[in-house]
Amino acid sequence: MNAFEYARPATVEEAIGLLSAKDGEVAPLAGGTDLLSLMKDFVVEPKRLVSLMGIAPLQAITVGKDGLRIGATVTLDALLQSGALNQWAAKWPALWHATAGIRSLQLRAMGTVGGELLQRPRCWYFRRGHGLLAQEADGSSMVEKGDHRYHAVFGNAGPAKFVHASSLAPALIACGATAEIASPKGNRTVQVEELYRTPATAGERETALAADELLVAVTLPRPRPRSATYEVRPRQGLDWPLAAAAVAFELDGGGKCVAARVALGHVAPTPWSVPEAAALVGKAIDAAAIAGLAAAVAKSATPLKGNAYKVELAQVALRRACAAALKGA
Amino acid sequence: MTAVTHLLRLDVNGSTVDVAAPAHWTLLEVLRYRLALTGSKQGCDKGDCGACTVLFDGKARLACITLAADAVGHRVTTIEGLVTPAGLDVLQRTFDEAGALQCGFCQPGMIVAARACLDRKPDATRAEIKEALASNLCRCTGYTKIFEAVEQAVRAGKAAHVGGPASLLPSGDATPAPASGAAR
Amino acid sequence: MSSSHGSGKPPADRADPLQHARSPNRTFGPQPPGEQFEVIGKRLRKVDGAGKATGEALYTDDLALPGMLHGKTLRSPHPHARIKRIDTTKAEALAGVFGVVTGAEMPARFGVIPWTPDETALCIDKVRFIGDPVAAVAAVDEETATRALDLIEVDYEQLPALFDPAEALARKDVLVHEGNKHGNITKEVLLEFGDPDGALAKSDFVVEDDYFFHGTAHAPIETHVALARYGSDGVLTLWSATQIPHYVHRELAKVLDLPAPQIRVIQPCLGGAFGGKSDPFSLEFCAAKLAMKTRRPVKFLYTREEEFYAHRGRHPMAMRFKTGLSKDGRITAVDSKILIDGGAYSSFGLVTTYYSGQLLTGPHQIPNYRFHSTRVFTNKPPCGPKRGHGSVQPRFALEVQLDRLAEKAGLDPIEVRRRNFQGAYTTTVNGQRVTSNGFDQCLDVVEKASGWKERRGKLGRGRGLGVAGSMYISGTNYCIYPNDMPQAGIQIKVDRSGLVTVFSGASDIGQGSNSVAAYIVAEELGMRVEDVRVVAADSDLCPVDLGAYSSRITFMVGNAAVHAARKLRKQVQAAVAQEWGIEPERVVLAGGFAFDKDDRGKAITSAKAFQITEAVLETLGSTGSYNTPNLGGDYRGGTIGASPAYSFTACVAEVEVDEETGIVTVPHVWTAHDCGRALAPVLVEGQIEGSAYMGFGEVFLEHHDVNRYGLHARPNLLDYTIPTSVDCPEFHASYVESLDPEGPYGAKEAGEGPLHPTIPAIANAIHDACGIWLTKLPFTPAKVVAALQARDAARAAGGGANGTANGRAH
Repeated sequence: MNAFEYARPATVEEAIGLLSAKDGEVAPLAGGTDLLSLMKDFVVEPKRLVSLMGIAPLQAITVGKDGLRIGATVTLDALLQSGALNQWAAKWPALWHATAGIRSLQLRAMGTVGGELLQRPRCWYFRRGHGLLAQEADGSSMVEKGDHRYHAVFGNAGPAKFVHASSLAPALIACGATAEIASPKGNRTVQVEELYRTPATAGERETALAADELLVAVTLPRPRPRSATYEVRPRQGLDWPLAAAAVAFELDGGGKCVAARVALGHVAPTPWSVPEAAALVGKAIDAAAIAGLAAAVAKSATPLKGNAYKVELAQVALRRACAAALKGA
Repeated sequence: MTAVTHLLRLDVNGSTVDVAAPAHWTLLEVLRYRLALTGSKQGCDKGDCGACTVLFDGKARLACITLAADAVGHRVTTIEGLVTPAGLDVLQRTFDEAGALQCGFCQPGMIVAARACLDRKPDATRAEIKEALASNLCRCTGYTKIFEAVEQAVRAGKAAHVGGPASLLPSGDATPAPASGAAR
Repeated sequence: MSSSHGSGKPPADRADPLQHARSPNRTFGPQPPGEQFEVIGKRLRKVDGAGKATGEALYTDDLALPGMLHGKTLRSPHPHARIKRIDTTKAEALAGVFGVVTGAEMPARFGVIPWTPDETALCIDKVRFIGDPVAAVAAVDEETATRALDLIEVDYEQLPALFDPAEALARKDVLVHEGNKHGNITKEVLLEFGDPDGALAKSDFVVEDDYFFHGTAHAPIETHVALARYGSDGVLTLWSATQIPHYVHRELAKVLDLPAPQIRVIQPCLGGAFGGKSDPFSLEFCAAKLAMKTRRPVKFLYTREEEFYAHRGRHPMAMRFKTGLSKDGRITAVDSKILIDGGAYSSFGLVTTYYSGQLLTGPHQIPNYRFHSTRVFTNKPPCGPKRGHGSVQPRFALEVQLDRLAEKAGLDPIEVRRRNFQGAYTTTVNGQRVTSNGFDQCLDVVEKASGWKERRGKLGRGRGLGVAGSMYISGTNYCIYPNDMPQAGIQIKVDRSGLVTVFSGASDIGQGSNSVAAYIVAEELGMRVEDVRVVAADSDLCPVDLGAYSSRITFMVGNAAVHAARKLRKQVQAAVAQEWGIEPERVVLAGGFAFDKDDRGKAITSAKAFQITEAVLETLGSTGSYNTPNLGGDYRGGTIGASPAYSFTACVAEVEVDEETGIVTVPHVWTAHDCGRALAPVLVEGQIEGSAYMGFGEVFLEHHDVNRYGLHARPNLLDYTIPTSVDCPEFHASYVESLDPEGPYGAKEAGEGPLHPTIPAIANAIHDACGIWLTKLPFTPAKVVAALQARDAARAAGGGANGTANGRAH
């Protein structure tokens, strides 16, 4: 790891002041579980780290009229352990499944909600220093030509072929969560899906945050839908799923769907919102409707030569998440 | 850039120690190479193996991806800190007795993680023990005798450091079971 | 061949000091030295357990010396290139850098097998894989050393690289090693026994399939690490995480051009090896050379990424297997053709090539056999010996074929294996002498434990049971460099205090060889184990042992320990008997005392007994050694794989296949292993559990793969996924004690054999669960799903599911 300067501000404002608008110069440090390993591989080489762990308000979980607000540096362990206090697990099971799916007590004790949402892709070309787009000198894609068994099957028409690594994002998106962003120009709130973007050129980031902006909290709104997350993972211990689906439905008294949101994880350069879910509205969510949704999703997939199996796994995840959401209600 | 050296006041195994270390040093580097607490091991240096697990305010944490500077103000306990004038931690004894120690390299981290597990849940079940040790890789044992060692410690009823009632397993009365992975 | 089974009487030692042309083979039979076993067979703690549990145990990276420098290695970024120029001037000029070394300064070629020395400490004129070491730096700290690497200028001329072994075999224009006599072939072995073609032609059932075993890594949790000091007395001391200190000693002398007596090699506590630390490695030479150049201690600690480059992991093998069976379920013949992907260097490859065929001829009687194995060089990290060296891969193919044949013959898979059991005290088709053999009992144990009879076929959709068997060696009589000296030695020193120190050359790599040595000496001398101290793996202090490989230590060092301690035992008995005026046979040594068998109240402590002995004899000490008998078939290569005793294993695995995702879980693995006698049952169980675990990991999760650029795809423990505590089956370990006539108290190996059958047992269980034959490892979700789709397509087309089905998916 290269040497760097370390700062530990006590407030968000102070932290923002320590960041730099120039990408790569300064990195905010939360749990460090992803950032430090990237730095040890010299994939990122910030000259200053701004630790956010001294900023108390970022570590708070609060229940307000808008819903459940989770500070960006709330650790995954604190989130899970808060279940007894406010029974949030029973209310937003999709998020609870996704959090519990990160099966490492150490990483849950260290890793934070904000860090999980903004972790860098697990793409092995990126991690070996070939950049997010992993292009050769002639602009061709190393991913396309090489082994891409874990790469994107949706949203991969451009040069970005990696998959976003967040497990929490699909659940938050399905539950309609918002994200608060602090910046030198003031705060703003966006939908969680708006945190992410697909880079089109080398040097672009995969998030909508500017280099001098900070994610400060996410908020899960009321009303609470029936929800679930299902992840397909070959290693049961800590690993990133091959595909995941988070679903959330609101049903009326007669069992008809009044709102449906579905997001897939680990299949596209961003958490992948499924617009076809809107077609469920007004229908009873039965096996046929679920199968129809899965088929519609599969139709829009664009697998590479060697990863079509991920489309099938995404469908399985989707079907199982739907079933779990309905059953868990 | 040239390394900036910080003077860090750390609380390690119950003692306050002042250490001068470069800003980019990890807690593991400070423990091993400044404080000569070589019980915590480096297996991967990237948070993937768990051999460097220490207690951080009582919770298991990976020292290799924790900056030493981030340890200021927190209580750090290493494998060496589990030995007191009264003797070995019950887990240190049961790991030995159960034959859980083969090469032994992962075991300081494993025992510390098991300590965190029993501190939170003194009557941990085998499923909870497995969950608690899921990111401590062992390459020798197949974990079998490790589980037996922790269970033996549970049975010994000497898992003294009783903590809260929270479950280690992501399942509870009000909470649905996680849907993930393979067929059940 | 000669051996003295079970006589209980060692030959007279000093009758004629030159009576042997070769150091003799001595064994002592399976019986206890006294009335009954006091230590052997008991569930004891390890001698080093407490130190490991408290963090006191010192591993190589835990050592630090005053003035110590930190070393770093510059590695090739190209898979195949000529080195045109190396300029280290700028690196040497960097403040904090004390020394830089390049290959030209250590030109001597080395290799663990003396017939194939094709490595140099650092590359001189060519690099052969991404990660091949090119230069090394010693600096005041790791950061400075890393910065210095960036300042070393290397001009490369890139060459076409070979990643596919079939291409490497065919190409004559691209050579990984110029000057190699046979293109890119490391070694080719074709051996035929009986008439396999004739027998196959007459067989009632024949199956012929292609199998693939992928590359896997040892992934010990401790990476390679070495620390060297060059003293003012001219002695070079190397502490290294090695499992072969003796070979490292020899190769250091050669490469550094130092007299061997000036070199001391010490293996501290070692954090796992599994065969991955059984070659000499670049860092050992570089640490030593830089210590000599800088006159300061130098330590190299490989990163996890470098550990994957150093590799020597399991060889990928593409295997064509053809096996025949008669209607009554007897194997008629086995014919295999195997292409072995060796990576960039030879390592143990010569042996691997033989082992891929030689170790397959038990526990099943194979009357006709041919194997044709070819190992080729490719531009990838070099492969070597991983637990179950060379034979895990073909064992997978053979045991799956046995199940395919059982299905064709309409026989239960366990029954087929029973019918082909070769029995004890026999000779295999390739001329290997088999002594004790408890494989039939192993089958009985796993059949019963798994509920095979009651449960198989009744577990419901997607669930199944599978079985497999295997054999392995307890060391071999092929010692790596030809010599007539013992393969293992022990020295014992007796202190008046009652402490006995055992000096053992053996490498305790976690398997517990220090504990076993202590248990044996305590048993022989009737002592408490805590009064026996073991000093091991230090070339200045300990007699030579060849190393922790080929599962040789318990058998060979164990026999040496019995030999050394038995001599002392007789001396102590004689001296005490004389003191008491009784016959020596009446003196019992047990539990820390010597007492009179016929007058049990008459007892003294071990310390007192030693004092009496020392008073009448001389300063007490003893040596013991072991060498193999002459073994092996009378043909070129016939001694490779010839073992003084074979271990046998049977395994049943239970699986659950999620047919939608292709993810297979393994709730249970039952393994029964014939280890001769379990000298230390806890350690034996641990070896069986650990072996089954490692085999399980290779089936689904682990893959040491190199991408089309020659770059390791996943050189870290997050992407190279090894099983965690929540992935593992419940491992049910049992052992069967066949009491081998030549093993120490009847013991045989337990460290590697039990791995073998795990993999085919799981493959066979998957077939039982859902009717697919998976033949290409690893069994990823994509492959399982593709095979299930092929099954469904075949069923829809009206066919059965008998063909092997492996999609082209990953």
